[in-house]
Amino acid sequence: MFGRPQLVFLLLLLVAGLAWLRLPGDEQRVRTALIMGTLVEIRLAGDPQQFNPAIDAAFAEMSRVEKLFSSQLAESDVSQLSFSTEPFQVTEESAALLQRGRQIARQSDGAFDMSLGALKQLWGVETENPQVPSAEQLQQALAGVGPEALQIEGRTVSKSNPHLQIDLGGIAKGYAVDRALEILRRAGVTSAAVNAGGDIGLLGSREDGKPWRIGIQHPRKQDELLTTLILTDRAVVTSGDYERFFEKDGVRYHHIFDPRSGYPARDCQSVTVVAADVASADALATAAFVLGPQQGLQLLEQLPQVEGLLVAADGTLHRTSGLAALEP
Amino acid sequence: MIFSIWRQRLTRFDRKLVAALALLVLSSFLLPLQQAAGSRLVVSSGDNILFVAPLNQDQQFELSGPLGSTKLQISNGAVRVLSSPCPQKICIGMGKVSRNGELLACVPNRLVIRIEGKSTDRESGYDLLSR
Amino acid sequence: MTCSAVNSAELEQVRRRVFLALFIALAVALHTFEALLPNPLPWFRIGLANILALTALYIYGLRALWIVSLARILVGSLILGTLFSPGFLLSLSGGLLATLLMSLGYRLWQPKIGPVGVSVLGALGHVSGQLLIAWLLIIRHPSIWMLLPFFLLFALISGMVNGLAADLLIKFLLGHPAFLRLRNLAGGNYS
Repeated sequence: MFGRPQLVFLLLLLVAGLAWLRLPGDEQRVRTALIMGTLVEIRLAGDPQQFNPAIDAAFAEMSRVEKLFSSQLAESDVSQLSFSTEPFQVTEESAALLQRGRQIARQSDGAFDMSLGALKQLWGVETENPQVPSAEQLQQALAGVGPEALQIEGRTVSKSNPHLQIDLGGIAKGYAVDRALEILRRAGVTSAAVNAGGDIGLLGSREDGKPWRIGIQHPRKQDELLTTLILTDRAVVTSGDYERFFEKDGVRYHHIFDPRSGYPARDCQSVTVVAADVASADALATAAFVLGPQQGLQLLEQLPQVEGLLVAADGTLHRTSGLAALEP
Repeated sequence: MIFSIWRQRLTRFDRKLVAALALLVLSSFLLPLQQAAGSRLVVSSGDNILFVAPLNQDQQFELSGPLGSTKLQISNGAVRVLSSPCPQKICIGMGKVSRNGELLACVPNRLVIRIEGKSTDRESGYDLLSR
Repeated sequence: MTCSAVNSAELEQVRRRVFLALFIALAVALHTFEALLPNPLPWFRIGLANILALTALYIYGLRALWIVSLARILVGSLILGTLFSPGFLLSLSGGLLATLLMSLGYRLWQPKIGPVGVSVLGALGHVSGQLLIAWLLIIRHPSIWMLLPFFLLFALISGMVNGLAADLLIKFLLGHPAFLRLRNLAGGNYS
């Protein structure tokens, strides 16, 4: 049976093969990196030797997008635009994303806003020293803010107010995931999931041909799911008030702001949006969260290929008409 | 023909023995299946897997990152960070994780702690968690 | 017969030696033949050589079983050039455990147990012994035990085939005049 050394070698190979098959969610198939301040996880099926370079490229692409849109990096397109007082030439890519953002800003009556940089800095929810600003400070930070705050002509972007600070927090992460998926698709990957801190982009179906099952976090009970969505080739983004927040004098202040008041939006606990691409899902989840359950639902309902699940402040669930078809 | 061989060439005892052994062999096929079940915890830093442990055994351990040593605890099937050298201690504040796909991360100390679920989770549960 | 002058007990002993040598030679031949056989699943060996070990057991008893098994492994490896290689260790450990189990089965349940039963015990012992040594010495990975069920299943089948072949051979040999005395000794034990 083990007559020759070669056979022992073959046995070794078989054992290795079996070990590889046996381990569910094998190490090779899930890789993580820290990009854009969150944990990015890429999982895909197939030969790791073949696809590891593709995953590397996808991570690199996300880092590139981060450098383009980060408000922390002084040389990024976004930072330069924020600091310039005159019309500024951005890259074609930035112009295209700003255009898309502005479209969603218009669709949502300004609930989604890319010009809240100053407001976010003022609150500093994600920093070590968050604060609750005064009405005067808020008024200053909101000056000139709105869906028409940015005029985009070709690659030239001009701000209605020279002090306006740009923040693409509600769309850039989703866009980075879209880019990563595009890189994977071009590399010949047919089944992959990219998850950047809850911004999930799906390429194809699972490696076993079945659709992906995406669990939706319950906004108040950490151990529970609201539901599970069954999806192929879609994007899912959840925005919740439980993600990043600070508490002061017993009040919880989270990171999703209502541009009308300058305060964190209060009408929802969380909003999950399913869309064709992650950037749109990301921006729409923010928009619907700010609009609240009724208007938010209306916004998502009127858009094609978009579904949503909203949890109102009182904990009631609001579903778009097509969502039930995605649930088991 | 096989049946007649079975009757003629095997003693009564042989038949019993072979049947018993066949049962044993068949049941041995179930053994590795059982081993594969059970959630586990995978700790990685960058692309390197540092540590893998089953979730059903209570234990504590320390992992070293660039800043120093982070202490983790597994108890009742959940993992949490006990102590960490990072300045903000966000990882400790993330609490316990126990479900398939959940993550704990200590960004300054470059540690990512992930729960990998049972293979059966793929049928009944979910692949990714949107939160 | 030309040997009529020799006393019959001595004749029987010489006969026994000659036949054991013959069994060993045949076992080595089968062992070598099997190693040379092109095989889609290289490590699945039928273990044809065990037919001779079984025959020796049922004709000459436990000691003969051990002699044929061990001699076959040593000489067979010598011929294949694998003596003292990892493959030889696997072969030896498999052979030892197989022979041990066969002896135990024979000792405990004889005369109820037939060649097929003993053969199946031996085949299962063989793969288990090999995997045990493979695990201890070569591949210290628990997933090697995931192979065990497949090996055991194959061993069960090949063990039955060998057992049946041995059964036929024993019947034929006991019917031969050379073993007439033995058959009389065995009496109704083997019919």
